[in-house]
Amino acid sequence: MIDETALKQTLAAVLGVDPDAITEESSSDTLESWDSLRHMNLVLALEEEFGVSIPDEEAANITSYALIKLVLEELTAA
Amino acid sequence: MTLDADRLKALAAPGLPLAQTMKLVAEIEDGAPPAVASLAISAGSTIDLLGLFLRKHALLAGVRLSVRQGQFDDPVGDAERFAAEGVEHLLIAPFFDLLAPAFEAQAGQWSNDLIDAREAEIRARYRLAFQKGAGFRTIFLADFHRFGAALPGGDATDLILARFNVALREEAAAFANVRRIDMSALVAEVGRSAALDPRFYLRNRAPYSALLLDAWARQITAMSRNYGAQFRKALVLDCDNTLWGGVLGEDLVAGVKLGPHDYPGAVYWRAQQVFADLRREGVLLCLCSKNNPQDVEEMFAAHPDMVLTQADIILKKVNWREKVDNLREIAAELNIGLDSLVFLDDSDFECEAVRSQLPMVSVFQTPANLPAYLGVIEQIRSLFLAGGVSQESRDKTEQYRQRADALQSQQSFESHEAYLASLKMTVRVTRNDAAQVARISELSQKSNQFNLTTRRYAIGDLQALMASDDADVWSVEVADRFGKAGLTGVVVVRYGAKTADIENVLMSCRVLGRGVEFALWAPVLDAALARGCETLTAQFVASTKNAQVADYYDRLGLTHMGEVDGARRYAHAIEGLARPPSPWIQLVDD
Repeated sequence: MIDETALKQTLAAVLGVDPDAITEESSSDTLESWDSLRHMNLVLALEEEFGVSIPDEEAANITSYALIKLVLEELTAA
Repeated sequence: MTLDADRLKALAAPGLPLAQTMKLVAEIEDGAPPAVASLAISAGSTIDLLGLFLRKHALLAGVRLSVRQGQFDDPVGDAERFAAEGVEHLLIAPFFDLLAPAFEAQAGQWSNDLIDAREAEIRARYRLAFQKGAGFRTIFLADFHRFGAALPGGDATDLILARFNVALREEAAAFANVRRIDMSALVAEVGRSAALDPRFYLRNRAPYSALLLDAWARQITAMSRNYGAQFRKALVLDCDNTLWGGVLGEDLVAGVKLGPHDYPGAVYWRAQQVFADLRREGVLLCLCSKNNPQDVEEMFAAHPDMVLTQADIILKKVNWREKVDNLREIAAELNIGLDSLVFLDDSDFECEAVRSQLPMVSVFQTPANLPAYLGVIEQIRSLFLAGGVSQESRDKTEQYRQRADALQSQQSFESHEAYLASLKMTVRVTRNDAAQVARISELSQKSNQFNLTTRRYAIGDLQALMASDDADVWSVEVADRFGKAGLTGVVVVRYGAKTADIENVLMSCRVLGRGVEFALWAPVLDAALARGCETLTAQFVASTKNAQVADYYDRLGLTHMGEVDGARRYAHAIEGLARPPSPWIQLVDD
């Protein structure tokens, strides 16, 4: 299991929103600040926070909280 | 400005994660006063994240920086737009991908004609961008570098990019405010595989890792001299275990470690080479050592491998007194602020004493682990040289030495005026001298103590003032029988229908106490009268450093008219102004 508090804080810091605004339903469709530029920063920040390297094909596609959680859980379980 | 010290400490931690960096920068800026410096980024790749790291390093230097992002690959348009908006600094960062899609793969097929044509286009385009950007205090120009690794022995990509970089450098040379950033060196410093990230490069044209962007921002901050917050002038050196290995008083001249070939002597010898080079670049070298003065004299005179000579050292404080007191005296005798001093010493005790009692002095410690010394020297070097050096600064030790010689002969005259007369001083006051704009701008950035409003001028500001019918920029050059003091003063005047308003007067402290600050007014007042002005107005704005000129306009004979918005305002009829006589100064016309 990954630390969801840390996940929410990372998203909040990079996307410039309050941690309470991040929910299971958050995605690039629901959060205005989640644009392609911030998404790159988000991938870099997640890699640092969780000590993983997110593969290229996943990096561009994990544009929702649920998908990020899923990918991080796979990567940290390995 | 005061920033949150605990958060700053956290922000300075090496390897701080990106999310933390974003959070801390936002929090510190939130509690800080409005931005005092501004920079715009004009790039041919996606480097928005560089803005975060620029703000980070500015905060670490005590400055709040606002960062603007330009259009994609539009250096000319960005330069024009951001200059009009009053942004102070511009970063132009072209990227090789702009030359052609997949440039690295195609470069080998480029014909000489095509290369010539592209070079001509690059020259024309960036020349225009630099022209539009003449008003910026600094244009940082990142040069071309490659993404992939070169083939052994170099390849077409290397040759073409090297040629285009020469073109950029040659075009930039005509503009005093352009500073070049060697991107290949920056990539090499971080390490190619850590610096470049192919994932977002291909998808978003974002080639750089956070690590590279962090290092890049650190370099720009150093090159900007912390956005003008600091300007180092003098390097104060300890002797034992700093200029040579061992303790002179115990090991004697024959026993200390110093020489080009042997370890550890070679480390100190190399360090001295760098100090000597800094001296040639205009840095004032001083000694501050607990030693017997005659021992140090003997070391300088007798050791065969001393690189530094007595002539390289502008001031020596070799004695057994507290270093803090010696540093205070050095600043006073050179007439520069303590925050202009950089102090290097091997002793924990001395470094700590200076850090705690004189926190404005930059302190470096010679490391016990000797090979690390070279890294420390490199930091000192970049602290002084990062922003580039003008020729005038280069000759500065000579000028200060002449001043010191002049101080010594001062004692033997019956009166101060007799002494001044013996100097055979000449003062040349020149109106709108376009050839001097780079030096005038530099002086306006550096002078703090004799600066009536602490208003600074970028090269473009000065060019605009000189071109205007309603303003004049007067530059003051002083010479005496010891030599030329070079550009020493600036007066900026703005004209109304019947008034001449002195926007600022600033002078180098090198020539103070000789009446130059009053003698310079004759041509300025005559010019104002000639164009029909009747009244002279002026103002003094107090800063933390300019108390010594608080009564300058009073001494000049102007009438104090009261305070407006923190500025002390003065006025006087030009005709009735008693011009303070300084018969020992000869005014020279062009």
